[in-house]
Amino acid sequence: MATDPIHQFQIHKLVPIEVGGVDFSFTNSALFMVVTVVSASAFLILSARGRGLVPGRWQSAAEVVYEFVAKTLRDATGSDGMRFFPLVFSLFIFILFANLIGMFPYFFTVTSHLIITVALAMIVMGTVVFYGFRRHGLHFLKLFTPSGLPAPLLPVVTFIEVLSFISRPVSLSIRLFANMLAGHITLKVFAGFVATLGSLGVAGVLGAILPLAATVALTALEFLVAALQAYVFAVLTCLYLNDALHPGH
Amino acid sequence: MALRLGADFVAGVLVGAVFGWGFDALLGTSPWGLIVFLLLGFAAGILSLLRTAGLIAKRPGLDDDAAFRRFD
Amino acid sequence: MATTSDTPEGPFTTGEGVVVETPGEHNNFPPFDASTFASQLLWFAITFAVLYYVMAKVALPRLGGIIEGRRDRIAADLDTAERLKGESEDAARNYEKALAQARAKASTIAEEARTEAKTKADSQRTELERALADRLTAAETRISDIKHRALSEVGAIAGEATEAVVASLIGATTTPDEVGAAVRDVLSERDANA
Repeated sequence: MATDPIHQFQIHKLVPIEVGGVDFSFTNSALFMVVTVVSASAFLILSARGRGLVPGRWQSAAEVVYEFVAKTLRDATGSDGMRFFPLVFSLFIFILFANLIGMFPYFFTVTSHLIITVALAMIVMGTVVFYGFRRHGLHFLKLFTPSGLPAPLLPVVTFIEVLSFISRPVSLSIRLFANMLAGHITLKVFAGFVATLGSLGVAGVLGAILPLAATVALTALEFLVAALQAYVFAVLTCLYLNDALHPGH
Repeated sequence: MALRLGADFVAGVLVGAVFGWGFDALLGTSPWGLIVFLLLGFAAGILSLLRTAGLIAKRPGLDDDAAFRRFD
Repeated sequence: MATTSDTPEGPFTTGEGVVVETPGEHNNFPPFDASTFASQLLWFAITFAVLYYVMAKVALPRLGGIIEGRRDRIAADLDTAERLKGESEDAARNYEKALAQARAKASTIAEEARTEAKTKADSQRTELERALADRLTAAETRISDIKHRALSEVGAIAGEATEAVVASLIGATTTPDEVGAAVRDVLSERDANA
């Protein structure tokens, strides 16, 4: 263990599993996915256990999250988008809990790995493409052809639209990944300054006050970012789902 | 930290670069495919950046989307 | 994270510089280490599928049910309150109506009593007036009787006086009939002139 800001992203095998030469080990990443899912499920199920007419503290927190996601989805897609509510809610709560759990010292941040954010984004885009074609058939392709354009420009614009569409899952995954990664690295670097300076004697301890303050401030900021990124992911998911429901308007 | 703001733009350019690289690798047109696709990816990046920024700033809604589509 | 260390490897280790030097399990930046992708994807698929199932089948229906139930309950309570309010307003209206009726009845009774008293007083008054008028008429009749009697006695007195006057003046003896005729002539002549 050192003040190496990258070390926290290291993946260790906890239970080695190998199938057909491919490594499927149960790692610390997998462990924290389980922790995320269990804690999120526990929060939502246990808080609603009382089914209180007048909600308690936990139940109103769960209800706030429920109503918040429901409103976001309904605002973006209308009432027929509510069939995607379990999906959007699962994505939101998974990212939110993974981000927040990652804020605890010594805990692993599941969403700081690109492959996970890519998988999350691919769930969204897979749903959009699959549902778009199933519901609208080839009309779904209207999404790529903006109306009211002169004919010579149409191929170029259509192609740019296609590229823009393909870049959606990329940006969706990169945004979440980069936010979590950069935030954790920054925190680690500043916290490392505190430790390093603190070991240099009295002057060092005095000098460590500034990075310590910065670390405290950054920690607060990172909590905000953790929630905000879950929200942004959910909002963009809703917008993309809206394209699947109502293409080419 | 810059990635926080420009993920849309970076993604567009990245997709353009990957397409261009693949196009060149398949047809041996290097470096023209990369150049053209990078430019298109640049445009796509700007497009989705504007779209996302506008939509998030205005809070998403059906009419917002329709209004924004007139813009491009 | 805010992990601290007692044995820092060096002062001011910067983020970028360490990436290359890290002697990790894989000589690579961990998020881009492809050897961990398969396992991460598998466990992500398993955990996310479980999460989706739990959300879709248990947590969300329950939460939605609670919120829906509360909304229904509030709506029902509001309905009841509205109904009770309407009922109490009806009661208040009925009370007002009864009060107004009672008031109207009371004033009618008072009016009737007043009219009755007035009628009674009127009839008493007319009766009294009639009695007074009767007595007045009786008195007048008596006066005129007396007057008549007096006037008729005036003729006899005049005849006697005339007899005496004629006897003393001319010494002629007159019969009371002649004198009476003459007096009647004079009297009637006077009456005619008067």
